[in-house]
Amino acid sequence: MPKSRRFFNAPRRRSKHELLLPALFIAPALLVLLALSIYPLIYSITISLQQETASGVKWGLGNFARLVSDNFFLTAMAHTFVYAAAALTCEFLLGLGLALLLNKQIRGRGLFRASLLVPMMLPTVVVGVVWRLMLNPNFGALNGTLKQFGINTESLTWTASPRLAMLSVIAVDVWQWTPFVFLVLLAGLQAIPQEPYEAALIDGSSRWQTFWHVTLPLLKPSILIVLLLRTMDLLRVFDQIFILTEGGPGFATETISLYIYRTAFRFFDFGYAAAMSFVLLALTNVISAIYIRFLQAKEAA
Amino acid sequence: MIKNLRYVLLLPALVFALAPVYWMLTISLKTEVDQFASPPPWFVFTPTLQHYYDAFVTRAFGQYLITSAVVAVTSTACALVIGTAAAYGLARFQLPWRLNRRLSLWILSTRMFPAIVTAVPLFLMMRDVRLLNTRASLIIVYTAFNLPFVVWMMHGFFADLPRDLEEAALVDGDSRLGALVRVVLPLVAPGLAATAVFCLIVSWNEFLFALVLTQTDAAMTLPVGIAGRVTQYEIKWGVMSAAASVAIVPILVFALALQKYLVRGLSLGAVKG
Amino acid sequence: MGIKFQNVTKTFGGVSVVDDLSLEINDGEFVVLLGPSGCGKTTTLRMLAGLETVTSGDIYIDGERINDVPTQHRDLAMVFQSYALYPHMTIAENIGYPLRVRKVQKAERLERVSRVAAMLEIESLLERKPRQLSGGERQRVALARAIVREPRAYLMDEPLSNLDARLRVQMRGELKRLQHQLGTTTIYVTHDQAEAMTLASRVAVMKKGRLQQFDTPMNIYNHPANRFVAEFVGSPSMNFIEGEVEAGTFVSDSLRIPLNADQLRKLSGQSRWTMGIRPEHIQVLAEPYDGAIAATVYVTELMGNETFVFLSVGANRLIARAPADFRAELESKVWLQLAIEKVHFFPQRREDAKKE
Repeated sequence: MPKSRRFFNAPRRRSKHELLLPALFIAPALLVLLALSIYPLIYSITISLQQETASGVKWGLGNFARLVSDNFFLTAMAHTFVYAAAALTCEFLLGLGLALLLNKQIRGRGLFRASLLVPMMLPTVVVGVVWRLMLNPNFGALNGTLKQFGINTESLTWTASPRLAMLSVIAVDVWQWTPFVFLVLLAGLQAIPQEPYEAALIDGSSRWQTFWHVTLPLLKPSILIVLLLRTMDLLRVFDQIFILTEGGPGFATETISLYIYRTAFRFFDFGYAAAMSFVLLALTNVISAIYIRFLQAKEAA
Repeated sequence: MIKNLRYVLLLPALVFALAPVYWMLTISLKTEVDQFASPPPWFVFTPTLQHYYDAFVTRAFGQYLITSAVVAVTSTACALVIGTAAAYGLARFQLPWRLNRRLSLWILSTRMFPAIVTAVPLFLMMRDVRLLNTRASLIIVYTAFNLPFVVWMMHGFFADLPRDLEEAALVDGDSRLGALVRVVLPLVAPGLAATAVFCLIVSWNEFLFALVLTQTDAAMTLPVGIAGRVTQYEIKWGVMSAAASVAIVPILVFALALQKYLVRGLSLGAVKG
Repeated sequence: MGIKFQNVTKTFGGVSVVDDLSLEINDGEFVVLLGPSGCGKTTTLRMLAGLETVTSGDIYIDGERINDVPTQHRDLAMVFQSYALYPHMTIAENIGYPLRVRKVQKAERLERVSRVAAMLEIESLLERKPRQLSGGERQRVALARAIVREPRAYLMDEPLSNLDARLRVQMRGELKRLQHQLGTTTIYVTHDQAEAMTLASRVAVMKKGRLQQFDTPMNIYNHPANRFVAEFVGSPSMNFIEGEVEAGTFVSDSLRIPLNADQLRKLSGQSRWTMGIRPEHIQVLAEPYDGAIAATVYVTELMGNETFVFLSVGANRLIARAPADFRAELESKVWLQLAIEKVHFFPQRREDAKKE
């Protein structure tokens, strides 16, 4: 039997009527997406090609040319990469560790799992509020509690300190999104059948060898998917940083999304904002293409 | 030994995950004196509901709450109807030129756009059609934003459903739409409900589009309202915490209802947990 | 109801799954489509049901061309391999579904459901859901749903293949009685030759999308049209010996079998032939006998009511049926008596030779 047997197979000669029904089902969604995803992109391209000058609107690649020499843009890009790389690494390692710890029937597992998921479900704005309350240098719960243990918190001004602000926003992201990594990896772990482990045990492999040769390879698809989804989200990060620091102090935590927002909605330079957003779009596309290549290589193997 | 080690490692993680949220809840219930007390009172304080009153009666947070609910429910309903139809069409009809796969991937890819990329042109488009600062603008944008997710999720649920059942319904004499209504939809109902809850959560939590498109009290959603207070009056901790605590409630209820489908939804159907 | 396939072809992406099939089924017949997986039998059934389109050719029911009639208007009933019971409906709702979509009054619906349920002895299950039923019970419900409507024909796609061996034999018998009772044309797809032999009034044997033979079970068994049919029908399978006809004798390796005049006449014009002989037509003897063929016992399998004897004759391997009390040591010498009038000859094709 051919593999891709569909409900109604396509005949050689297709009458118009046979395509009418599927068209009725699919067309509304396509129209909505064309109007609200594709048209905005095209619109965005046209505005990115326009520059407001004293002598009127000038068409050209001027906005893109500005990018290269704009130190704010380059710094924002650098911040974005630092933020994404640091948060991704921490979230992955912590999430994997938690998943391994909870991949056993232990008492209270359901409670642990449910509780660990709370940060991830919160609106990002609420996450911002929560951590402003925690990290406030004077009245925050964190410094207050540290003081109780006799730790000098004078220099620990967290989001208000140019030195610690980036670390703080990364930590908040790790707090919120490690549960997501944990959840997906736990699901992946639980989907691994018992037999390979039993075989490894009989073959005399050590715990570490089993983890390295059985668990990790079998978990690879889940790992790639969770890394892909997290990378996409990290590169476009906006909400938490906007609430926590608004990119400050100074420019210390300004990421590319914040810079685009500021350019468009504070300085009303929509053309330049559009140009920058295409760089971000290209970047996320390239990175997701790389991940998907890896994923498909896995599937083919 | 190893079992105890597990708990030794898990308990701090648990505290780390929950303590900050708990702290916010206490702030929303504390008088100003307790809020700024040192050392911080984690457990012992005199509770008050004053901040909730201030937020939702004195200030406009009640209105933000209603806007959030209206926008979330309406956009979810629209996305579900349009998206489920498309998913069924893509899962069950053979289209020419390998369109089934191409359209599915294309629809998914629109979900991958960073929000800020479409936020700029959407703002300008909404300005052109004079929809800025209206609930309608958010409903339209959230419908489009949730649509790829609905299509992708429901496509998975339809694909999981044995084709035999629909074929049996047709042989038994039912029409295509009859089979969809009487056989297919009842069977994917749990998946449909889970997808709906995900859309509700996403719409409820969404911040960037709401920030860009709505700036008036009449059209603002709860997250934008909260964010406005965060950056303007640092001092009103209690009101902010009260509003944020209320914003959490529906999410936690929904999340509990979702346990079974959580992984599948969060990974866009890639991992069937 | 008479059903006619006329030069029906179905291709999937350029590959012919059913190739120029012509088949005429009479009213009230029980026809079994038999063949290995991938032979096109299920596709044939699905084309008849309207679940697959026909690439070329025509299908008629009672003289009406139905190629373009949608499934729901063909008035057929189908039993699926998976049973395809609607999981969210009770058994009564499942059985009543075909009536419900035809807007049959509720009172009549209930009456007919309970009548069919009584017929299949599933009255006690009516309020349950499919997942609470055993495989055999589900099978009965699927049958009931097909029967309740009195359709023009029943289509059955391997309906017994998900049952265990004992239940399968039992249901096989019941199906046969049921069809006899109802007298409705039935088309039944299976890869199990025993089901085909026991159920069918006529069997259509298919291979790679092509019809090989369409005849009664006895004729299929006794006069197979070609080597494929001979091999596929009967268990254990027919023995095949490649050889040549030389001077009135069939010669293969050390084996020499004299042929009668009748056979020789049929075999003239070509020298290379494959001889086929069924296991029951080989008699195994412990003592030498005039004209018997010497053989070595390779292994014996006791079945309880009979014994299968696997034999080596030179380079050839043969299976013979022997009585239950037959005993022989492995590698012992025995002698074979072939019922020469029962052997079949098939022209040797290159692909057969290559396969050996």
